[in-house]
Amino acid sequence: MSNNKNVSPEIEKLGTEFLVGEEYIREDEEGMAEDLATGMRFHFPELLRVSAAPHAKSPITTSSIMLDVFVALLPAFIWGVFVFGLRALVIGAVSVLSAVLFEFLFQKLMGRENTITDLSAAVTGLLLAMNLSSAVPYWMPVVGTFFAIVVVKGIFGGLGKNIVNPALAARVFLFAWPAEMNTFGTAGVRAGILSKSADIVASATPLTQIKTEGTLDASVFDLVIGNVGGCIGEVSALLLIAGGIYLLCRRVITWQIPVSYIGTVALLGLLFPRMGAPLESMLTEIFAGGLMLGAIFMATDYVTSPVTGSGKLIFGIGCGLITVLIRRFGGYSEGVSFSILIMNLLVWYIDKLTMPRPFGTKGGKVNVKKG
Amino acid sequence: MKYTFKGGIHVNDHKHTAKCQVKLFADPKKVVIPMGQHIGAPCVCLVKKGDRVLAGQKIGEVPEGALGAPVHSSVSGTVEKIEKIADGRGMFVECVTITNDFQNELDPSVQVFPKKLSDATTEEIITIVKEAGIVGMGGAGFPTHVKISSAVGKATTIIVNSAECEPYLTANYRLMIERPHEIINGAKILMKALGIRNVIIAVEDNKPAAIRKMEKLTEGSENFKVVALKTKYPQGDERRLIYALTKKELPAGKLPADLGCVILNAESLSAIYTAFAKGLPSIYRIVTVDGDCVAEPSNVLVPVGTTVSELCDFCGGLVNLPAKVISGGPMMGVSLWSPELPVTKTTSGILVFSERHAPAEVKDDACIRCGRCLRNCPSSLMPLNIVASIKVGDLDGAASYNVMSCVECGCCSYGCPAGIPLVQYIKMAKGELRKKMKR
Repeated sequence: MSNNKNVSPEIEKLGTEFLVGEEYIREDEEGMAEDLATGMRFHFPELLRVSAAPHAKSPITTSSIMLDVFVALLPAFIWGVFVFGLRALVIGAVSVLSAVLFEFLFQKLMGRENTITDLSAAVTGLLLAMNLSSAVPYWMPVVGTFFAIVVVKGIFGGLGKNIVNPALAARVFLFAWPAEMNTFGTAGVRAGILSKSADIVASATPLTQIKTEGTLDASVFDLVIGNVGGCIGEVSALLLIAGGIYLLCRRVITWQIPVSYIGTVALLGLLFPRMGAPLESMLTEIFAGGLMLGAIFMATDYVTSPVTGSGKLIFGIGCGLITVLIRRFGGYSEGVSFSILIMNLLVWYIDKLTMPRPFGTKGGKVNVKKG
Repeated sequence: MKYTFKGGIHVNDHKHTAKCQVKLFADPKKVVIPMGQHIGAPCVCLVKKGDRVLAGQKIGEVPEGALGAPVHSSVSGTVEKIEKIADGRGMFVECVTITNDFQNELDPSVQVFPKKLSDATTEEIITIVKEAGIVGMGGAGFPTHVKISSAVGKATTIIVNSAECEPYLTANYRLMIERPHEIINGAKILMKALGIRNVIIAVEDNKPAAIRKMEKLTEGSENFKVVALKTKYPQGDERRLIYALTKKELPAGKLPADLGCVILNAESLSAIYTAFAKGLPSIYRIVTVDGDCVAEPSNVLVPVGTTVSELCDFCGGLVNLPAKVISGGPMMGVSLWSPELPVTKTTSGILVFSERHAPAEVKDDACIRCGRCLRNCPSSLMPLNIVASIKVGDLDGAASYNVMSCVECGCCSYGCPAGIPLVQYIKMAKGELRKKMKR
């Protein structure tokens, strides 16, 4: 700008004086680009790539999310292997591998893209195993993952299209074999790889004992660390909570569903104690059974839970209510699986009900214009 | 109180050039000046091939009665050719190519405003802004004189938008550090034009040096207030900015003036000041040149019309094979199809990326309903549902999810783990819906 630098004194004050400009203040010149000149020089190619904005992308992918969930589940699963023996490990391995295999085969059969690398099948497999007793025969996880991957997920259109949680639906499907599904190992009595279902030293789960006897032998401490009978992955409340905190920190899940779900069960346990003092009753209700596994890992399944924040709260409260109702009045001692599956069916409506109010509008009425 | 808004994303800001002092690149061999660098009708070209033009000479005039801003030559030289060139958005625009004669001879119309500011009338100020061809230099390109005239009598607060929330860009930041008086003086001219006294200078809190600078310069003044906004993209968006500062939501279809605000980009204010104090129209601007292909990432003051290739040469050439050139920031900028396209009045950055930063692959995998798009949306929309409707061709369904309220910030696409190009689908649907409405 070879212009006369007429920083016009003619234009005078308004409010305060015009500030006298320092022309191009010399600041530090360092940090001008670290890797200057490698000697190599390039030219623009004939064709440049064009695309619509944005041109930046966060590093988070479906597989990175699924990997986080898998990692967060592992400590509680390993605890299950520790208390129930290597038999639990085999069930886990069979379940994960068969889930991945069914995913691969089904996608292939349908002529769809191979999706095993998104790791969602592996997560479904691990979740199913964690929802099974260590006493089930080895063929059961295979049947279960077939149902989860092919029937619940695959034929509905694959990942993201299923209406209910595949692992939970498979678990409920496996109740077709009630004897196998309701025999639970005893914590600390480890079953070997080759041991048969019939060899398992069975014990009642805490919730079954409460239902049938009205009392509980195990202390709250036992429930928290997982020194009780039950499904492979549900016993260690502590490690499940640790996994949940990991997922929260990684921003994989949000707080609404676990907090509202566990909170509802806790509140009802406190207000209407089943056994002992209200506080003991509350702690027993939240740490016994599959609540932690369900509330932290199953009810938060993206595909089958609401997307809105308030919708997640409603979903969690609904799950909590149904869980407590089944535990109290139902024929079965545990209600987490059923409650989540029932609430899964309402997700579409909850989302519609809790649609956020768009910025700059009042009320948030959907302005449907048909035409 | 925290000055921020709901939604939005935290992005790695990549402000590598924050310490790069603005360098002047005054002598490009040629400039390519488009007749449409603003929102509204393209200008009518006033010159023909072979004409000699001077720096600051008006070469494009707004058609009678149309919305727009005139265009000036940024160098002195000879008109080499006039042709229609497809710009970054793919629209054909008439462009005047001028060969620089390096004389930098100023047009006689470049005159310092002869009166004292206190004697200037609103009309005079608007005329000067209009004749200088000043437009919103943040990227939108709305003619500034129209913005001012529509705000007269309505606006009570001037908001200086220096949020600069786009990654990489540091042009506004350098302006605040190096020429802060121009911003403040520009604001004063605007205060005079509108007859109001409140000015809020809004800067994101990742630029503490600029905040300190502006605070120091406005110390003791009751009229100026410097506000540190929480750093979050897209804080620089007009509606988000008003909300962060006043907690008022500007409804779709309304103008900031309806809420008593007039928002100007810091560089536009500097251009207003330059038009007054030096008489120069809007023919220069600061551009951040960055990206992994550029040898010396810099901030450069360039004549409007300088081509990307010359600008890159000025910045030390290329050290990687470019795959993509972005005009503007990576979130909302447009990718240019040719390095021979020019810097315009609204170009705040030129980013040259290699294959590594500009992969060709678009995943568009299955939506897992993670809800990130919804949480990131600053307009509180449900991008996943909108796009689900669009994918099955249900535009009315998309409209029922308020697709038209989308500001196209791209937060949804940025955060999507499945790599679904959400905002790209939405832009397409908005275009289709607009066509439908016209019918």
